[in-house]
Order: sequence, then C-alpha cells, then structure tokens
Amino acid sequence: MYLYLPVALTSINILIPIGLGLAVGLLSGLFGVGGGFLMTPLLIMFGIPATVAAATDSNQIVAASTSGTYAHWKVGNVDFKMGLLLLAGGLVGGLVGVQGIKVLQAMGNADFVIKITYVLMLGIVGTYMFIESIASMRKKKVEEVKQEKESGFTRFLKTLPLQTHFEKSGVTHSMLLPLIFGGFVGILAAIMGVGGGFLMVPVMVYILRMPMHVVVGTSLFQILFNCIEVTFLQAYTNHSVDFILAVLLLLGSTFGAQIGTVFGRKLKGEQLKVFLAIIVLVVTVKIVFDLTLTPSQLLGQAGGH
Amino acid sequence: MKENRNQKRGLSLFTDGAKRSCRIGTVPGAILLVIGVISIFFVFVKNSSAELTATANHSHINVDFFYHGSTMSIRGTSDPGVDLVIKLTSPEGHEVLKEKGKVGGVLWMNVATLKLDHISGMYFLHSTKKVEDILSLEEQDKYQIGYPALQRHVNMSPVANEEEKTRWFNEFVRFKEDSRVYSTSVGKISVSPQYGKDNYYILTEWPYQVPPGNYTVTVYAVKDRKVIETAQSNIVVEQVGLVKSLAGMAKNNGAVYGAVSVFAALAAGFGVGLVFRKGGGAH
Repeated sequence: MYLYLPVALTSINILIPIGLGLAVGLLSGLFGVGGGFLMTPLLIMFGIPATVAAATDSNQIVAASTSGTYAHWKVGNVDFKMGLLLLAGGLVGGLVGVQGIKVLQAMGNADFVIKITYVLMLGIVGTYMFIESIASMRKKKVEEVKQEKESGFTRFLKTLPLQTHFEKSGVTHSMLLPLIFGGFVGILAAIMGVGGGFLMVPVMVYILRMPMHVVVGTSLFQILFNCIEVTFLQAYTNHSVDFILAVLLLLGSTFGAQIGTVFGRKLKGEQLKVFLAIIVLVVTVKIVFDLTLTPSQLLGQAGGH
Repeated sequence: MKENRNQKRGLSLFTDGAKRSCRIGTVPGAILLVIGVISIFFVFVKNSSAELTATANHSHINVDFFYHGSTMSIRGTSDPGVDLVIKLTSPEGHEVLKEKGKVGGVLWMNVATLKLDHISGMYFLHSTKKVEDILSLEEQDKYQIGYPALQRHVNMSPVANEEEKTRWFNEFVRFKEDSRVYSTSVGKISVSPQYGKDNYYILTEWPYQVPPGNYTVTVYAVKDRKVIETAQSNIVVEQVGLVKSLAGMAKNNGAVYGAVSVFAALAAGFGVGLVFRKGGGAH
C-alpha cells in the first residue's frame, strides 16, 4: 500500500518506512544510538529529498528514544544526572559547531574537511571499540593491564574540581568532565551533521567508565532532548519535517526500540560493544566506497552533506 | 503516401481556380478571381486552424493520501499529413543542484553549486518522428522543442564554455530523467484517419514525482520543417484534504507544526512503552 507524503512530495510503500523504523529502532534500543547515520541515507535512497530525510529522521528519533529511554528507565539504566550534564555540554558544543561550519565554509573545501573528519572518527571509534571489546572478552588480563595503565589518567581526573558521585553509573567524576566531553561531541556532531550517538557512547564507556547498559539508557535520554530541539528548529526554519513519514517511521522504531532493549538485556556489555563496533565499521566502509567509487549521477539535490 | 495524396488534392484545387480566371479575362472577372482566391485562402486557413485540437483526460489531478501518480491521455484531431509534437511542461523557473567532482584525484564529493535559470522543472516530449528530422533548428528554438533547444535557452552558471555547458546540461537531463520528471519518446503517438482528418492519441504515465502545480500541454502540428499550428490545454495538480492541510501547516505555521510533530512523537514513544509494560511485564 502506498501513501503520499505531503512535505516530501512523493509516494512511498508504507512497508518501507515501517521496516526501516523497526530495524533502526532495534539498533537504538540495543546500542543507545539514534541511527541517523543509517536512516538518513536509506531514506534518500528511497526517493526522499535529503533535507526532508534528515529533519524527519530527527522527528522519529524523538519517538524511538522516548520509547527506548522509558524501557531503560524502568530497569534503572538511565543516569539522569550524567545525562543532563552531557546534554548541557552538547547544547553549547552544538552552537560552537555551527560557527565552526561557517569558518570551514569561509575557508572553502568545507565538504572535504567534514567528510574526512566523519570517516576518520567513525573508523577510529569503530576499530578501537572492536579491538578493545574482543580483547576484553578473550583475556581478562588485558583489561587488568589496561586499568593499571589508565590509572594515571584516572588520577589526573580525580584532581579536577567539582567532584561528584554518579549513583546510577557507580562512578565519581568532576562535573566538568561530562560537560567538556559532551561539548566536544556536540561540536563534532554539529559539524558532521549527525546526532553524535556513535561518539557519545564511546565517550561514556571509555572516558567516563560507565557500565555499558547504563550507557545505552543515558545516551538515549540525551539523544531524545537533542532531537526534540532539532525537530522543532527544522520544522520552524526549513519546513522540512514530513509528519506522515515520521509517523510511519515511528510505528516501526518505537516497537524496535522496545525489542532492542529486551535483546540488549540478554547480551553482555562486551558483546554489545562488539556489535556496535561492527556496525560503525560497516558504515565507515560504506562511506569510503561512496567517496571513492564513481557516482552514478554527477548532480544531486542541494541540502544536506 | 497519405502526405503525397493530400498535397496533390491541394494542388488540383488551386489549379482549377487559376483555369477559371484565365477564361473570364475581364475586370469584373478579375475582381471575382481575387474574391475567389481570398475566400479559398480563408476557407483553407479556417479549416486548418479548426483542425488541431488537444484534450487531456484530466485537467485537474487531486493529490490525496492514496495518490501514486496517474495516467494521462491526450487526444485530438489534426490535419492529415502533418507530423505532431506533444509537449507537457511546467512554467519556467530556477533550479539549484550540487555538482560532484573528484577532490585530490581520489574522493568524490560536492565541489560546486550549479544554478539553472529559465528551465522547466518538468518536461515531457512526444513526437511522431524524430524532432530534428521534422523541425528546423530555428523552429525547435522558437518553441523549445527538444533537449538541445532547452540547452540553448537555459542560463547556467558557473560554466566556463559551451563544452562545459553541454556536459552539465546532459548531467542535468540524466538527473531529471532518473527523477522521472523529464522524458522524450518518438513514435508513441497513434494516428488514425477519419472523415478526412486524423485522430491522434497518446497514453502516457503521469509520475507521482511530478509536484503539485500548473502544467501546460501543447500540441504542435508540423509540416515542411515548420510549426504550422498549435493547440493547448492546461492541467492543475493540487493537494487536497488532509494532505493539503498538513503541507500548508508545515509551510505557514512552522512553530505549531514542529510542536505537534514533537508532541506526537513523544506520545507515541510513551504509548508504545506503556503497551510493552502492560503486555510484557515479564521483561
């Protein structure tokens, strides 16, 4: 059955957005990522204009992350204190990032810098997560040595002011730490035009040393607020949110997020990290192919990266 | 063959008149001859202008939630012995597209913005024979018939020279054809003679990718590499009902539309969360 989308100005088989929503919602509930890095290119592939695809994806992530945050909150996997600090840092970082794009555009070659940063970030994060989680699954010794190695860094973190205990995560950090790293992710996410879940999750796991299951719930919590802001701004300034497409996507993604949460609970932290690392690496390879293979069209719609 | 027969008939009519005038050979006779020639001329012109008609099966296409494109049939009558060109277009406008190019000799990415002025967003062209075989270049340009005529008419920037313009215009046409809003065909118009006139008919697809707006169907009767007559018909594609309300709200009431979108997503997320809690208490 086909439905006409009033803002995208195209007709789509409803099974496509519902199916895509289900798959990406599943990843969202499992790994605490918004899934924009998968959903937006897929929607474009199915004929949705780039600007509408990105804006509408934000709208459906609001639903999927609400559903996922709620499911994780029920089992005590959302650290609201940490989430709010990361969010505050992320909002400031986002504003800085938008200025950063202007500077890059003024320098010329903005697209080149953005694409290279994106590929490098995805590649480094994916590779590091993959190697680290495989190693920690195989040898406990490696983890112990690593912890010893990182104790110097940890000692430095302990010297920072405004130390506070994050009960849900079971860690003690300076309040500046989530603010600074949240800001850093916010800057990169704004420059790359993505939600930043795939960067926030590794920051929480490796720098803030939070347990993986709390990471997923807390990441979804801060993604929810980011996407509320983005959806509203996109609807207000660019008129590019397609409500009907968002409803079709969220029909799938809200259920997907719940199913993902249930699956996630059955997997160990290391297993979740390995799967996320694989997905991030697959996306990296796909982007590298897109960048190096001759495109079928040498002209494309304006808007979006 | 048909064309030849018609030409012969036209010629004999004129020859008869000339013979009669020779026999008369007086001043009143000359006046009669002039009146006769003028009246024959007017009859001929009147007949031919009444010949070409164009009717589309839809003059109004409503776009509701279940709209998935339509079909468009165009029919009419024409003088026998003419070729036909049917053009469906949107009003001329402005297009902005991203050019992809190689950076550092390895990576493909957006490298420039291509701007096109005086170009139709939609352009469908059907003809009985190849346009370049039946129309002179001047006539193609005058009526913007065929991609080469569009290329000569459009303003494109930035393009350094004619070669670059051709290259990017060909890419533009490829982009539009893939988006299903540009197409051309030869020989799909069926023509059948009836009562000394030709009835023509074509059934084409009207893709859902064609956005709402006003469109024009123009039929050209072509003879001796010239357009001898045109007929027009209009098509309006319009969103209706809830599709129209939502599109209007998104455009004119962005803040309310954004708030409703966010609220609906929050409600859906919570709603499904509650359903799962009730239905899946064991989790």
